[in-house]
Amino acid sequence: MKGKIDAIVVGLGAAGGIIASELARAGMKVVALEKGAFYQPSDFLTKFDEIRYYCRSAIVPHMKSDPITWRPNKKTKAQILPWASNTLGLGDPFQIPPSIGTGGGTLIWGGAAFRFREADFRMRSTIIERFSEKALPEGTTVVDWPIDYKTLEPYYDRVEWELGVSGKAGNINNQIVDGGNPFEAPRSRDYPMPPIQRSAADRLFVEAAKRLGFHPFPTPTAIASVDYKGRKACTNCGFCHGFPCHIGAKVSTYDLVKAAVEETGNLEVRPFSRVFRINHKTGKVKGVSYFDVDGKVVDLEAPIVILACYALENARLLLVSGINENGQVGKHLMVHNYGWFTGVLPDFVNSFMGSLQSGSVIDDYTSELIPDNDEGVLWGSPINTWTGDFQPIETIRGLPPHVPRWGREFKRWMSENFRRLFRMYSQHSTLPSHQNYVDLDPEVKDPFGQPALRITHDWTEYDAKAVEFFMKIKREIAREMGMKEWWEDSPTPKYHVTVHDAGTHRMGLDPKTSVVNPFGEVHECKGLYAVGGGQFPTLPSYNPTETIFALAYMTSDHLLGRI
Amino acid sequence: MSYMFFNEEEMRLVQAICERLIPSESDSPGAKEAQAHVYIDNVLAGYFHHLQKYYRQRLQDFDRLSVQWYGAPFTQLPANCQDEMLRRIELGQAGEEAEKMKTFFEVIYEHTIEGTFGDPIYGGNRDFVGWKMIGFPGAQWGYSSDQMQPGYDSRQIEILSVADLVRKRKEAQ
Repeated sequence: MKGKIDAIVVGLGAAGGIIASELARAGMKVVALEKGAFYQPSDFLTKFDEIRYYCRSAIVPHMKSDPITWRPNKKTKAQILPWASNTLGLGDPFQIPPSIGTGGGTLIWGGAAFRFREADFRMRSTIIERFSEKALPEGTTVVDWPIDYKTLEPYYDRVEWELGVSGKAGNINNQIVDGGNPFEAPRSRDYPMPPIQRSAADRLFVEAAKRLGFHPFPTPTAIASVDYKGRKACTNCGFCHGFPCHIGAKVSTYDLVKAAVEETGNLEVRPFSRVFRINHKTGKVKGVSYFDVDGKVVDLEAPIVILACYALENARLLLVSGINENGQVGKHLMVHNYGWFTGVLPDFVNSFMGSLQSGSVIDDYTSELIPDNDEGVLWGSPINTWTGDFQPIETIRGLPPHVPRWGREFKRWMSENFRRLFRMYSQHSTLPSHQNYVDLDPEVKDPFGQPALRITHDWTEYDAKAVEFFMKIKREIAREMGMKEWWEDSPTPKYHVTVHDAGTHRMGLDPKTSVVNPFGEVHECKGLYAVGGGQFPTLPSYNPTETIFALAYMTSDHLLGRI
Repeated sequence: MSYMFFNEEEMRLVQAICERLIPSESDSPGAKEAQAHVYIDNVLAGYFHHLQKYYRQRLQDFDRLSVQWYGAPFTQLPANCQDEMLRRIELGQAGEEAEKMKTFFEVIYEHTIEGTFGDPIYGGNRDFVGWKMIGFPGAQWGYSSDQMQPGYDSRQIEILSVADLVRKRKEAQ
């Protein structure tokens, strides 16, 4: 791109992909700097390959090139993510940050596309009104969001119709609609496409959940169930979560970016560009410096810089660039705890077919709908199902201790049960608190000599209680479905990074207690934006991506002077 | 048979370990028929070339332990002794060497699984041995609504590797 650049977008994932293409389509000159590749559709035609995408995590940042360290608390020395360091090829490729390259995490996400609930935007007030301020565990920094559901509703609608989400509405303008989620916040219209193909296990779950008095509804999914706006309908290939889509049925901002580059001439993508510093002066952003593919330093100037590199890398870049006047950058880290529950169904359900999201969810106990309980659980979670997308190697790695891992019995178990697997999970967030945060590691550096990010995070007794409360419900549903064999993840799991990490550059109206405003602009540096899940003041129990998309559209409207 | 990295002796030992992890039975082939050891040889010459010294050293340690415990190299032990030795190592019961041998078990176990259940384009899972065992149809462009019903027998579907899928797509065009 020649001449003056209007904006630099760093990272082309869920948020960056939308903002870069929206700005370019409106006529702004945009340069996007992406750490990974600029993908083409032909890259994904052979994606049905567990060794490449799962075992070797081909498009996910590795700890060798992009180290992150972790410690449970201040007193412990941090080490490179022990569950993911992968020096011998044994790492868990799921519990590291999202994929990189054009599309970022949306290349290999599962596609769950939930709106947050009205109460999710006012978690602090809701808890205090129902329980009391004293009910909040010590040290928590739970707040209300600076925006409410109503503000975001038009953007949710835009995500669902413009990008394309499949699902069934349960509440249109306060009218309850059959077949959808009766507990959802009111929406202005239905989804543009019906739910994706139901997996075999879904019927069993739905019937069992209904018999128990729950209200299951099809998981809203950003996967085309019918041909939609140039995207092909899903073929149910079963290589979905952790894999790019071979036909573009799954929403990925990779498509938006590619189209904006080709159609507008206003967007230049520079792949394999590693931004290492934000340049700024007297409270105004000046541009960024990055290493290009050959390791050469390039300085780029623009009056607007948008950081969209995930909650972790956004915080690292702010810290390494000396942008943290009020000490809030990196604080309030929140991580989802999934409470995995996996078991064996009596019938073949061939759970390697279809998307993991080809099932249903119950929202009866989500967020503020948590029933009164003696355990002190303040906030509930949906119970999600995982009904497709099981591949052999990932399944074997996840076998529980009671199943023989090798020998004849292993063969027998796998040949009898691989086709009968079913999984439930929930998504409990650590409450934001002073104990959980990210900062710069004082010792560990990446191959370019830049400081690694250090995570300080641990699960608390409260977290374990919340997970355990929902484990009881999962057991009840499993029994009702006729399951006799199942296994549960620890309520204090070994991972402390997921692809849902949030809160590290909290948005708020007060520059003293937050990092960015509701549009993502950094309070202390005019023209600099930090967007994505890092903005979330609290992390609800739903998958975060639809809200990240919605906020990105809102930021785009703001940058284009539309609001 | 020539290999990319291992010498013949090492290859026999690797094959013997793979064979115990996923044993062959009269009606059901295992890692030997899947040629998981060929996969391991291939990855050590390629993707995991940084593990070459590691493997070579640990295989020597492994056979030394076999001689120490059972009086003979691993490939010459009866199957029940081989199983017992692997079990002891897996459970971390190898005395002073417990930790390092347990880690080696985890590494060769993982690679045996990859070589049996990964796509055949990587040199293992020969004749879809691993996928036939568990009823997995491999690299499919998609599944139909009829196939996604409870009770459907997935063994009716022709198993495909990524290479087959690409070839079929080209032929269809």
